[in-house]
Amino acid sequence: MVPIIETKDLGQTYERHQVLKDISLKIERGDFLAIIGPTGVGKTTLIRLLDLLEKPSSGQIYFDGIDVTRSGKSRLKARRRMALVQQKPTVFDMSVFSNVACGLKFRHEKKLVVRDKVEHMLELVGMREYRNRNARTLSGGEMQRVAIARALVTEPEVLFLDEPTANLDPTSVAKIEGILARIIGERKSALLMTTHDMAQGQRLAGKIGVLINGEILQIGTPSEIFFSPANMQVAEFVGIENILPGTISGKENELAIISINGVKIQAITGHAEGEAVYIMVRPEDIVFTPSRDVSSARNVFSGEIRSMSSVGPLVRVEVDCGFPLLGVMTMASSQEMGLTIGRVIYASFKATAVHVIKRF
Amino acid sequence: MRKVFLYFLLSMVSITLLGLSPACGSTGGDVLPKVERVRVATTTSLYDTGLWTSLKPIFEEKYNMHLDVTSQGSGASINLSKTGDVDVLAVHSKADELKFVADGYGVERIPFAYNYFVIVGPASDPSGIAGMNASSAFKQIATVGTTQFVSRGDNSGTHSKEKALWKLAGLNYSDIQAATTWYLNAAAGGMGATLLMASENGAYTLSDKGTFLSYADNLDLEIIVENSSDLLNVYSIIAVNQSKFSWINIAGANNLIEFMTSNETQQLIADYGVDTYGQSLFTPCFGNEPTQ
Amino acid sequence: MSELWEAFKTAIHLLVTFDPEVVQIAWRSLWIAATSCAVCVVICIPLGNLIHFSRFRGKGLLISVIQTLYSMPTVAVGLIVFMLFRRSGPIGPLGLLFTPGVMVIGQIVLVTPVMLGLVISALSGIDKSIIETATSLGASRMQAYRICTREAKFAVMTAVIIGFGRAISEVGLSSMVGGNIEGYTRTLTTAIPLETGKGNFPLALALGIVLIFLAFLINIALYMLQHRRTWTRLFVWFQS
Repeated sequence: MVPIIETKDLGQTYERHQVLKDISLKIERGDFLAIIGPTGVGKTTLIRLLDLLEKPSSGQIYFDGIDVTRSGKSRLKARRRMALVQQKPTVFDMSVFSNVACGLKFRHEKKLVVRDKVEHMLELVGMREYRNRNARTLSGGEMQRVAIARALVTEPEVLFLDEPTANLDPTSVAKIEGILARIIGERKSALLMTTHDMAQGQRLAGKIGVLINGEILQIGTPSEIFFSPANMQVAEFVGIENILPGTISGKENELAIISINGVKIQAITGHAEGEAVYIMVRPEDIVFTPSRDVSSARNVFSGEIRSMSSVGPLVRVEVDCGFPLLGVMTMASSQEMGLTIGRVIYASFKATAVHVIKRF
Repeated sequence: MRKVFLYFLLSMVSITLLGLSPACGSTGGDVLPKVERVRVATTTSLYDTGLWTSLKPIFEEKYNMHLDVTSQGSGASINLSKTGDVDVLAVHSKADELKFVADGYGVERIPFAYNYFVIVGPASDPSGIAGMNASSAFKQIATVGTTQFVSRGDNSGTHSKEKALWKLAGLNYSDIQAATTWYLNAAAGGMGATLLMASENGAYTLSDKGTFLSYADNLDLEIIVENSSDLLNVYSIIAVNQSKFSWINIAGANNLIEFMTSNETQQLIADYGVDTYGQSLFTPCFGNEPTQ
Repeated sequence: MSELWEAFKTAIHLLVTFDPEVVQIAWRSLWIAATSCAVCVVICIPLGNLIHFSRFRGKGLLISVIQTLYSMPTVAVGLIVFMLFRRSGPIGPLGLLFTPGVMVIGQIVLVTPVMLGLVISALSGIDKSIIETATSLGASRMQAYRICTREAKFAVMTAVIIGFGRAISEVGLSSMVGGNIEGYTRTLTTAIPLETGKGNFPLALALGIVLIFLAFLINIALYMLQHRRTWTRLFVWFQS
């Protein structure tokens, strides 16, 4: 089956500023792809290109196998099989019902059919009682739900959502995520959502794409992204904080010894001996003990506590083991161990918790 | 874009339909078949007396066609006739009319009524022209040079007559025009408006008798000089030549000429104004050039 | 003074009894202006949308030119139309001079810049995201324009009313190309100078009152549009 959307080396430049480059994506029917990345990096531009609101300055877009990069007529046809929910909902100055009915009216749908579909959709998003209210009088969350209903009622094959919950209060966010979960469950449309909230992407999406500085640096399942980032930038973005440069000094099957500043770390990796690499360890994977523990962890180091800071119920502890290492533990545990700055402590982590990527 | 064009087309069609409909404001109640129109360019001196307005319904009933009368100065009416924008010319500018026919624009000059120009002015007659003939009176007005004279200034029949009188008085018209202290070249827009201005300013002016009489109630002017032979004012009707302009409604034009020279209409013209002003405004001449 | 009062009394009498001549002239003014406006609406709304939402070189210049033409003198347009439509002119063969048709055409020329410019101005008052939202919902260009016009409907209505006001109150064009023919091309604005010049003040006054009244109505309509919230509140209060 041809992917519903495919792009080849898509790029967009505004007045000599290149916003997007070399975007090559495939979206299959029924996929849910979340694009995450820092704000202002091109996420909205990407969605606008894919929804055919703008023409790309380079590359091609194919909708259901048809080239829709340039031609006006094929673009209109394709656009009628897609829908977009924007970050800031724009509703027309008319009743909620009329707003939601718009897309169907554009497609010259019969009056009775329109009424049925709109009623059903208003029910789905919980806006049925508001059907006759002027959409402009609604709150942000209500407007966004109307926007979603308006987009969905046309039964699009691809639904784009551009940071749909970015400006909303937590209750509205929860409501909307619930609606999205229902849509995903029905598996009728493909969904592409941009968000700067990684956790949201992780919760809802089947695939995640990381967009940094106009390029897609990695596409994969949430666990691939979070635990096996393809490069430094992705890693930094997804919040891996222990990133250390080193070289593979020895290799035995899959087990590698990587030396960093003279210290040796064991990791599981496919990279070869002699290669320059970065190792990455998630703070959550580091275990602190007051004394050298006899555990299965292959990597145990002692070091002095440099700093401690609390983040909600957790404490971030930075330790100097000859290299900086950042871990987290519960407030209770740190108090139990009586941790203070200057105290010497043991940090350990498994070889399997170490993620290795090539260093250039 | 196609839809825009369709909208435009639809609106053009509806306008045409509207234009043909009775809503167009035609005096008759015609719908179909389309009733003919005959167009006359006449002089304001004649129109402002109301003669055309009174004759129009009679003509329209008799010949079952619309009579469109547009009035401006004789010069302007002649120009409209020279381009075939009207079917009939009815003015009072003999020399120009003769040339009009001689040059092939008109079929034949048919005088249908006459009256006299009069020199009117404030009752006190400050320049003392009473009793003189027209050209001497003009000379007197120019010599005295204190009381104003209002001119039509618009190449109308009246204006042509005025210029001819200055010439008869032995004066150069460009000198007269330069004497802006007493000569008001107003081009006020028609004989009626000129009379009103002369009345406001306590000035003299030249007017045809018909118009003066029909305005007299609103004016503070009196007839000072009349019945001078050089003040004869003949109104003629001329059909525009169809061989020059193929679209001329020559049948309508001929109907109008026949109407204007018919005994009944000539009688109407003779009687016009008697009830209102106590004297008639016009003397019919049955198509012949008046001698006096 | 008494002459003025007498004229005024007669004028009121003419109006109250719906004197046929007054009615006929007033109706013609309304009909001609309404037709011109209708055509202008059909031209200006799509065209205004097209100009506003397109990007092209010289767009700013075009809009400036349109706005400059707002105060085009009516006699200038009258002169041009007269020279085009007289028999010796390029459109002469149609024989439209001295007909209501040419008056409509002339008024279309007069009103189009005003309505077009004000429609464009009306559209610039709506959010840019409106047309994009409509497009993303699958609207064709015309459908998107319809939605945008609806969003700006009050400002667009204002544009139409102002255009109508310009049409019904102009004299220069109507008198030059219409010929002021009684019962055919005589309108309020062309009749008033004629009757005044003839000294027929009661009729001139009556027509003048009608004209002023129409201008007044137009301004009321505009005022209500601008202050519609006040009016709807008043209306609701009145109903309760």
